[in-house]
Amino acid sequence: MSSMDIAEILTKEAPGKRYLLLGNEAIARGAIEAGLELASTYPGTPASEIGDSLFQAAKVGKFYFEYCTNEKVAMEVAGAAAIANARSLVAMKHVGLNVASDAFMTLNYIGVRGGMIIVTADDPGCWSSQNEQDNRIFALLGDTIMLEPADPQEAKDMTVAAFELSEKLEQPILLRVTTRVSHTRADVELGPIRPPRNNPNFERDPFRFVTIPAVARKRHPILVEKIKQATAISEKSEWNQIHGKGKIGIITSGVSFNYVIEVIRALKVKAAVLKIGMSYPLPKKKIQKFIAQKEKVVIVEELKPYLEYHARAYAQEAGIVTPILGKSQEFFSEIGELTPHKVTEGIARALDREIPVHLTEINEKLSEPMSELPPRPPILCSGCPHRATFYEVATATGRKGIYPTDIGCYTLAIQPPLELADLLLCMGSSIGTACGLTAILDKPIIGAIGDSTFFHSGITGLVNAVYNKHPVKIIVVDNETTAMTGHQPHPGTGITGMGVEGKPISIEEVARGIGVPFIKTIDPLQVKESIRTIREAVAFDGPAVVISKSPCALIERARKRREKEPLVPYQVDPEVCQGCRVCTDKLGCAATIWEGEHASIDLALCSGCGVCAQICPYKAIREVEPNESA
Amino acid sequence: MKAHNIMFTGVGGSGVLTAARVLATAALIEGQKVRMGEIHGMAQRGGIVNCAIRIGESVYGPIIPIGEADLLLSIEPVEALRQANLISPNGTIIVGEYKITPTAVMLGRSEYPTVDEIFDELSKFARVITFNAERMARQAGGIMTMNTVLVGAAFDLDLIPMKESSIIEAIKDVLPARYHEMNITAFKKGMTVQKMIITD
Repeated sequence: MSSMDIAEILTKEAPGKRYLLLGNEAIARGAIEAGLELASTYPGTPASEIGDSLFQAAKVGKFYFEYCTNEKVAMEVAGAAAIANARSLVAMKHVGLNVASDAFMTLNYIGVRGGMIIVTADDPGCWSSQNEQDNRIFALLGDTIMLEPADPQEAKDMTVAAFELSEKLEQPILLRVTTRVSHTRADVELGPIRPPRNNPNFERDPFRFVTIPAVARKRHPILVEKIKQATAISEKSEWNQIHGKGKIGIITSGVSFNYVIEVIRALKVKAAVLKIGMSYPLPKKKIQKFIAQKEKVVIVEELKPYLEYHARAYAQEAGIVTPILGKSQEFFSEIGELTPHKVTEGIARALDREIPVHLTEINEKLSEPMSELPPRPPILCSGCPHRATFYEVATATGRKGIYPTDIGCYTLAIQPPLELADLLLCMGSSIGTACGLTAILDKPIIGAIGDSTFFHSGITGLVNAVYNKHPVKIIVVDNETTAMTGHQPHPGTGITGMGVEGKPISIEEVARGIGVPFIKTIDPLQVKESIRTIREAVAFDGPAVVISKSPCALIERARKRREKEPLVPYQVDPEVCQGCRVCTDKLGCAATIWEGEHASIDLALCSGCGVCAQICPYKAIREVEPNESA
Repeated sequence: MKAHNIMFTGVGGSGVLTAARVLATAALIEGQKVRMGEIHGMAQRGGIVNCAIRIGESVYGPIIPIGEADLLLSIEPVEALRQANLISPNGTIIVGEYKITPTAVMLGRSEYPTVDEIFDELSKFARVITFNAERMARQAGGIMTMNTVLVGAAFDLDLIPMKESSIIEAIKDVLPARYHEMNITAFKKGMTVQKMIITD
């Protein structure tokens, strides 16, 4: 069997077999082993592969899966299913929990009947996110039990255990992973699959499930009591474990545990390591006892000093005076992800040990050439229709507007030469911020939002623009997929999480229904017409929506290959090219390369979109003839 | 047993993750403990892509500590230099000569060092092996097999602690059937590197 066949690995009955799984795939497998009945998600890195692998497995598995319009809806879908006695899982990236937080913060009050897992995939280091918030704080804020695995095997095992715990206490459970757990591949040993219970039952209980103030007041003390019970479980939990012995103590959690083990071995530090796997509620007594027995305790954790604050409070309460060393004394930073290097430096400094000489030497060797290397940020793919759209917006508006942007591949228009991104907060913010800017500024405000993002949280902003008469100009860059996170379907594609094809929801019709007075659809690969339409929209007195519709270049390329449709690349006639650099300096397609004074096109990269040919002032770019070998 | 650390680096879309997965799968086929650290998402769109493969019982985390990579494989010169601090002084850097020019350089906003400058810098860190992996890859069936050529070269130089049969089995396991032959050819072409290298 090919290991590419994730659906088969996730659904096969093969206890004891080992497969190389991503942390995210291991979570999906864990849910299936626990008898998963319903899963929901909105894709977002680093959580995306949880949904993606369940999407594959749903075709052969015994559970229902859906991609939701956003994380709040996904939380509601999975929450309701669990209230109706099904085992459910909802997965999202850390900032997705902000979107879902309204539902999340009250779901804990009413609880669930079937087990429910809420996966939050945090992104220390902002590898692909707009912030690096620490969602352990959400567990505290929402009184929601949290488990925190350190590696893919534990991610799977904890998922299975979390369903049991969730059902035992009738509370949803947060499973918090980080990029380095989600995106680590490791050998994972499979367990047996428990068949889904398939006994859905919505037992009416309005004075538990309808959170009017009287119910909420009644449920809050129940929640506090549940957390007390969970604390007792945490005290005895196998997930809160001491590894090794010594007078020095280290408290850590998640992926940081792995670095700690490797680093203390390298530094030859004899230490006991308390690994916290149940990070809310914490095992208070266990932590107090651990600290009391040590000469010094170092706390190693990413982002917020969450364990550290608790440890200090617990120690103070018990009158323990053991020094607790962590972020307060700046041995570690709360910025960015931890690395073995940072953990080495932090532990060595906290314990007054020498930092290994070779680390200093290597870093000296490296400083000068490293600082001068050309940057290589992610860019739009060659032939990406977004590139054409942003070129057209820049040309049509003469760059005299302000350009709020949104979350998706098109955010990459921040890079030269397009440089058309002025403001970004979160999913859907392009339209809301455009409203705010038009309210106080007298200049064109042109927002860009992707198709999936439009459905996620753009619609409410657009309603606001129409309602409050903001003359915003919204370019919906519709590439017919959720491209950045790995090409998931969305309402505009009509394809569901079960792989069923339905009627796509039309963005144009949505805008019309809202009452947007100017709506036009363009093909961004037709440059002149597109520029004309964008100019019209900008000149229009009122809110305007331009839908720039062209499929993602990667999908289009794959489609052509599959349907055996010829892909005709373009080439530069060196006799005609004047070396004016317009193609590179204004458009900057990755397929355009320079050899001396003339541009040329990398045929392996060219997708044949023809946009560069349309903007070349000398008409030097044309299609490669079928009989021509370039 | 000491961990064996392999760092794979390149540019988004060039197949770094797939090639790294072949090595991790081969390790698993041989029953070894393996950790592979990937970075997805933004990194894939023509940006830098790194992947660490760590093999051995003593391995816990997905990140190779500075100065502890036994092998650094890069299809691209400047990307090898960006990761050079990971290589152990006793390690080996295998790097293709093929340059992938970043946009900033294309736009004249940054300069790409000469390949000789890069190789001089690299050799401060460890032994450097460089050859025309691009040509071998094209001969094997396409530039996207360049990573597999590098794996073949590393294998030829005894820098991958696995059996040839495990790597070939892993290629078949990880890649769709239509790419098997091409990649096995690329792997074997890489294995001729000792006969033709220009080394340090």
